[in-house]
Amino acid sequence: MKKLFLNLIIYGFLILIMLELLVRVFHLGKDTPTRYVDQYNVEKWMPNQNGFAVTGNRRQNFSEYNINQSGYNSYREFNPTYDKKEIALVGDSFIEGFHQNYYNSIGKKIENLLEDVEVYEYGYAGYDMADQLHLVHAYKDQFDKIDHVIFGIKFSNDLTRGEYSILSERLALESPLNKALKKSKLLVYAKSIGLLDPPKLFIAKLKNTIFNSQNRKGSKKSPSNKTNTEQEYLNNFKQLVATYGYDKQRFVLLLNSKETSNIFLKYLDQNGFKYIDFYKRFQASPRPKNLIYDRHWNNYGRTLIAKEIVSHLRTY
Amino acid sequence: MLFNSLDYFIFLPLVFLTYWVLFKNKLTSQNLFLLFASYFFYGLWDWRFLFLILGSTLVDFIAGNKIYTTEKVNIKKIWLGVSILFNLGLLGFFKYYNFFIDSWVDLMELSGYTVNNTYTLQLILPVGISFYTFQTMSYSLDIYYGRLKPTTNLIDFATFVGFFPQLVAGPIERASNLLSQITNSRIFNYEQCKQGLKLILWGLFKKIVVADSIAPIVDDIFANYGDYSASTLLMGVTLFSFQVYGDFSGYSDIAIGTAKLFGIELMSNFKFPNFSRNVAEYWQRWHISLSTWFRHYLYIPLGGSRVSKLKSVRNICIIFLVSGFWHGANWTFIVWGGIHALFYIPVFLMGRNRIYMDTVVAENSWLPSLKEVAQIVFTFTLITFSRVFFRSESITDAYLYLKQICTHFSWEAYSHPQGYRMIDYLILLSIFTVYEFSIRRDERSPFKFKSKIVRFLLYSIIILAMLLFYDDQVDRSFIYFQF
Repeated sequence: MKKLFLNLIIYGFLILIMLELLVRVFHLGKDTPTRYVDQYNVEKWMPNQNGFAVTGNRRQNFSEYNINQSGYNSYREFNPTYDKKEIALVGDSFIEGFHQNYYNSIGKKIENLLEDVEVYEYGYAGYDMADQLHLVHAYKDQFDKIDHVIFGIKFSNDLTRGEYSILSERLALESPLNKALKKSKLLVYAKSIGLLDPPKLFIAKLKNTIFNSQNRKGSKKSPSNKTNTEQEYLNNFKQLVATYGYDKQRFVLLLNSKETSNIFLKYLDQNGFKYIDFYKRFQASPRPKNLIYDRHWNNYGRTLIAKEIVSHLRTY
Repeated sequence: MLFNSLDYFIFLPLVFLTYWVLFKNKLTSQNLFLLFASYFFYGLWDWRFLFLILGSTLVDFIAGNKIYTTEKVNIKKIWLGVSILFNLGLLGFFKYYNFFIDSWVDLMELSGYTVNNTYTLQLILPVGISFYTFQTMSYSLDIYYGRLKPTTNLIDFATFVGFFPQLVAGPIERASNLLSQITNSRIFNYEQCKQGLKLILWGLFKKIVVADSIAPIVDDIFANYGDYSASTLLMGVTLFSFQVYGDFSGYSDIAIGTAKLFGIELMSNFKFPNFSRNVAEYWQRWHISLSTWFRHYLYIPLGGSRVSKLKSVRNICIIFLVSGFWHGANWTFIVWGGIHALFYIPVFLMGRNRIYMDTVVAENSWLPSLKEVAQIVFTFTLITFSRVFFRSESITDAYLYLKQICTHFSWEAYSHPQGYRMIDYLILLSIFTVYEFSIRRDERSPFKFKSKIVRFLLYSIIILAMLLFYDDQVDRSFIYFQF
């Protein structure tokens, strides 16, 4: 019995090392840049980092990212001036665009379509409206020089809070333990393909059983609940605008009207908030707009977004 | 609890350690513990069905002893009848009741009568019922035919019926093999455990990498066969052949490997059937425990091949139709069985049904001869053709699938439903086939290489392949659980 366990431990250990080696050699695991909070309390990526984003078990999507001096994924540095024409795209991972080479981003596509314009992509995975407006407010000097600021917004996700604060859960990813774990590419890979979900689920179930806590079942929202939530999100938007300011002339929201509450759209229309709706353009095209291995826009989806933005800007 | 779940990878080491550490050299305790673990394992599906296993166990335990102790042949027959009626009654009710009702209603409607079908019931098919009922019946039959002495220990017998590695999908063991091991003391054997672990690893590979990874493709093609060309449909059914083989033989390997961890040897269930040189050889290599069950308890009692040619042909038809029906309450399985009978009969009439019993393809060489390659391809094609019926939801679907192949005979590239690269699967299945060919002589030693380094590299590659093809969205249950 001892021999069996000893051999299992030795073989197990050696196989783990071998797998770590193979995952590194074939670059199956994604690189994860370091995040931090700057002097203005803005959470962003540590400047000047490079790496590769990988999706799919067999590296089906592989792209390079480049974090510039401002802490965002872009091929260019952000140096706005009053002389040049600049556009800022502010948003979450869809704008951040780790899923495509940074030289083929939405910003670059816009630059290719419009002449003499610089596009700055302030994209960061997980940014909601509070993050975005706080960022613009914190870097007011910079953003005042930018001609158009476009905020990516998904109504159901991005208006859950009415005030900005640093999200400790996200920063916990930079804890010493997490950093140490991320050093293992095998672990990062296993997590990305969903292999760690069953143990996580098991532990959660065990915790539930031990502490006898009630199961939180996802209940369908009743119509009145839904209206309440939508009203709450709208109030959050109003509160954010009141707190951090909103220049209706230069700022515009980028949204999918199909996924946005009518109450919210009505409010935007009635109060002069401009928005770019990409629903119709997406709907009109039969080709897939999202990546196969995750929900982010693929190259074609990004091209459509860039075209929609350009089409909007040309009207102003 | 599925063999390929995290639950099982927590359950198995715990049971293994308790079995060998706490109950070492204590046979009764070991068996009692195995029984408890087995019922726990099964009860996680649905504890109510434990009563069916208990019922089947008690009936055959009593029937077995009564058959053995009574002198009168009529009484023996009555007790054998009780055993068979009870077990087939369970199967008939849970598995075939609705099928018979629906078929009766269809027949009446065909005859011009309108029947309001209010007789069908909302029944859940208890997992593994076809397997354990056959196993318990074999016990009573063996005692009846004087091939076995019954056990007087109910715990031992219940452990034989409920032994968790093979409870839900076999191999269907005969008491002469499994029960005798359960009643005898078992000592820890390092080599046996090592072999068991290797078989578990190989079984997991076949399940996760071969079967589960191609399942979405097969599901998509069979669900939308009307939209695809012949090339895609042919690929779909070929992939299904690999899927069902990877799934069921993977399960069997894990079952045999797990049993080895407890010092118990189960019979082989698969011996590389994809390299069969004719249909008869295929049936000596595919789902062996079921084939031998039918041979022992149905084909031979009917006279087997020791009767006239005509009667032998009748017996072959019976055995294949019953075997098809065993798989599921659907006409598709009966037709599938019938097709295999049609494939088998010419081989039997030519006297070629036993010529490959003791040999493997390329017996004395590295590579098969051209003749053997042609034989293998021909046999595989026949078997794959029959799988259209095995996989389709109904006879109509199977017919339309085949019709679509004949009427849309063109080549079109197929796109994976999730957009994966199809070339990955082609490479995977090619490597898998070549590797299986290299180990074709011994189904119990998938890693029979002398060099430790080669073995280590193989283990690493196999685990890496599991990661590369792991799909957290796929339904991970085993195909044969539905039977």
